[in-house]
Amino acid sequence: MSLIFEKVGKRYPDGTIALTDISFEVPRGQFCVVLGRSGAGKSTLLKCVNGLAVPSEGRVSVDGVSVTPRTLAKLRPQVGMIHQSFNLVPRASVATNVIAGALPAVSTPRAILGLFPKALREKACALIAEVGLDEEHLTRRAAALSGGQQQRVGVARAFMLDPPYVLADEPVASLDPQTSIDILALLEREAKERGAAVLCSLHQIDLAMRFADRIVALRDGRLVFDGPPDALADGRIRHIYGSPRLETSISRQAVGA
Amino acid sequence: MNGATNIVRRGTPDKWRFPTPFGWRTVLVAIVAMAILLRTGADVDIGRAIVQSGEGVAAGAGLVEDSQVARGFGAILGQMFPPQLAEVTETARIADFDPDRLPLFAHVETQVVTVQSLDPETMRMVARTTQREVLVEPLGYVVQVAAKLIETLEIALWGTLLAVLMGAPLAFFGARNLSPHWLLVTLSRAVVSLLRAVPELISALFFVLAYGFGPAAGVLALALHAAGFLGKFYAEDIENADRGPQEALRAIGANRLKLLRYAILPQVLPQYVAYTLYILDRNVRMATVIGLVGAGGIGLELKGRYDLYQYAHVGTILIAIYLLVLALDQLSSWFRRRWI
Ligand SMILES: Nc1ncnc2c1ncn2[C@@H]1O[C@H](COP(=O)(O)OP(=O)(O)OP(=O)(O)O)[C@@H](O)[C@H]1O
Ligand SMILES: [Mg+2]
Repeated sequence: MSLIFEKVGKRYPDGTIALTDISFEVPRGQFCVVLGRSGAGKSTLLKCVNGLAVPSEGRVSVDGVSVTPRTLAKLRPQVGMIHQSFNLVPRASVATNVIAGALPAVSTPRAILGLFPKALREKACALIAEVGLDEEHLTRRAAALSGGQQQRVGVARAFMLDPPYVLADEPVASLDPQTSIDILALLEREAKERGAAVLCSLHQIDLAMRFADRIVALRDGRLVFDGPPDALADGRIRHIYGSPRLETSISRQAVGA
Repeated sequence: MNGATNIVRRGTPDKWRFPTPFGWRTVLVAIVAMAILLRTGADVDIGRAIVQSGEGVAAGAGLVEDSQVARGFGAILGQMFPPQLAEVTETARIADFDPDRLPLFAHVETQVVTVQSLDPETMRMVARTTQREVLVEPLGYVVQVAAKLIETLEIALWGTLLAVLMGAPLAFFGARNLSPHWLLVTLSRAVVSLLRAVPELISALFFVLAYGFGPAAGVLALALHAAGFLGKFYAEDIENADRGPQEALRAIGANRLKLLRYAILPQVLPQYVAYTLYILDRNVRMATVIGLVGAGGIGLELKGRYDLYQYAHVGTILIAIYLLVLALDQLSSWFRRRWI
C-alpha cells in the first residue's frame, strides 16, 4: 500500500527535461516533503501521480495500479490535491468549492443539478468545521476569504473523498509564516487521522524539517537526497540548492548550446 | 532562468532613448487611413449626406428658405402627428353589426365624406358628398398596436431562449479546453460562423417560405443568428476562464460536464448574463423589423400602414416601439445590477 515512482523521467514537448530517473516509494501514512529550488521539477513530479503530467519514461503506481490513461479515472479520486494558488472558484461559495471535491462520487446529472447526497453535504460541513471555518462561511464567496482561509477550503476540498494519498504543491508558498505553519499542521492532522500519505513540495527548509517524516530533494530533475529530516546537514542543503555562481555558469552554457 | 543575470547593459541611463508616443509608422497609418476615408466617402456619397443634413438643420433654424431634407421630414412628421389612437371602422363593413351592443367605450358617429369620382357620361371629375356611419373605438388602434407589440416581444423572447439552448452546446463543443475532439471544435466553429453570417432579415425570408407567414418563422430566424453570436462568445469565455479551478477539479477526476458546471460556469456567468441580455435587446429590435418580410410582429403592421400612406398610424407604431425599447433598457439594467 504505497505510492511508487519507478525510474520516472519527464521530457516536455518543447524539449525541457524536467525529471530524470526518479525512484522512490511513499508508504501510506507518511508525510513526505519534496524540496528543490524553482524549476527543479517538484510540480512535475507531483503531477505525474494524477496524470496532469504524463511521464515519458518509467512509471508511477498507486497501491499497485500503474497510472495510465485507462486507470486514471479510477485513481484520481484516490489522490487529493492542494494547490499553491488554491485554485478555488472565486465566485462560488465555500460550500460549493468544498463539495466539488466529491464530484467524482456523484453522477453527472445530479452534479449538474447540484443535488449532492445528504452524506456528502454533512461531510462537507464537518470538514469545513475541522479546518477551522464556521457556518457563516458556507455561503461566503471564496474570493472574499483571506489567503489562509482559502487554503483551509483547499484542504477541506482535498479530503472530501478521504483519499489515501494527497498531493500538495507548495501549499503555503503565498502565505505568511504563521499561517503557513497553521495550514501545514492542519494538513498533517487531517492526513494522520485518515492514515493518508502526503507528498508535499515546499521551498521553506525550516517548515520541511518541522513537518516532514521524510524529505526527498530534487535538483535539475534528479533525486539528490532521500532521507529523514535529521540527515539533512548544511552541506547537503547547499548541494540541493546550489551556489548562485554555479547556477549562472550553467545558464550561460545552456544559452551557448 | 534567472532574469537578473540576463540583462545586457548598453550605455548609461542618460543615453537611453525613451519610447516616443508616435513615430513615422503612426504617420504612415494616418495617411493610409485618410486615403481610405476619402475614397470610400466618395463611394457612399457622404459629402451629399453632410451638406443636405446641414441645410436641413439650417432650414429648421430658419436660416435658409428651403431644404429637400427638411421638406421630406416635415411632410412625413406633419402627417404622423398627432399619432393615431382611435380605430374607426365603417359599420357597413362590420359583419353582424349590432348598434345596441357596442364594444367597451366605443360609440357610433356619422361622417360626411367627399368623394371625387369620374362621371362616366361626361368624363369629368365630380365631387359627391355621402354620409356614412362609423364605429369609433377611442383607443382601439393603441390596443391593436399593443397586441402586436406583445407578439413582437414574445418572438424576441423565444428567439433568445432557443438561441441560448443552441448556443450553449455549440460553445461547449467549440471551446478547445472542453471539446471532446478537435474535429468537433472545427465543426462547431464553422456552424457558428455560418449562423452569424446570415442576417435575420435574410433568413426570415426563407423561413417564411418554409414555415409560412407568422411568428414561427421570425422566432427561428432570430434564434439561428443569435445562436451563432452566443456560440462564439460563450466559447471564448470558456477558453479564457481561469485554468486553476479547472485543473483542481480535473486532478480529482471530474469529467468535462462537471468541470463546465463547477469550474467554469461560476466564472463566466456574469458575462453570459450580459451577452444574453444584449441578445434579448437586439432580438426585440430585430423582431420589429422582420415583420417587413411577413415573419410576424409589429413590422408587418408598420409596413402595411406605410404602404397605405397612413402616417398617423406609423407614428403610433414608432412611438410604441420606442417605449418598448425604453422599458427593456430599464429591465436589463435592473438585471445587470442584480447579477453582475
Ligand atoms: N508545461 C510545460 N512545458 C514545458 N516545460 C515545462 C512545463 N512545465 C514545466 N516545465 C519546465 O520543467 C521544469 C520543471 O518545472 P516544475 O514546474 O516542475 O518546477 P518546480 O520545481 O515546480 O518549480 P517552482 O518551484 O518554480 O514551482 C522547468 O524547467 C520548467 O520550465
Ligand atoms: Mg512548482
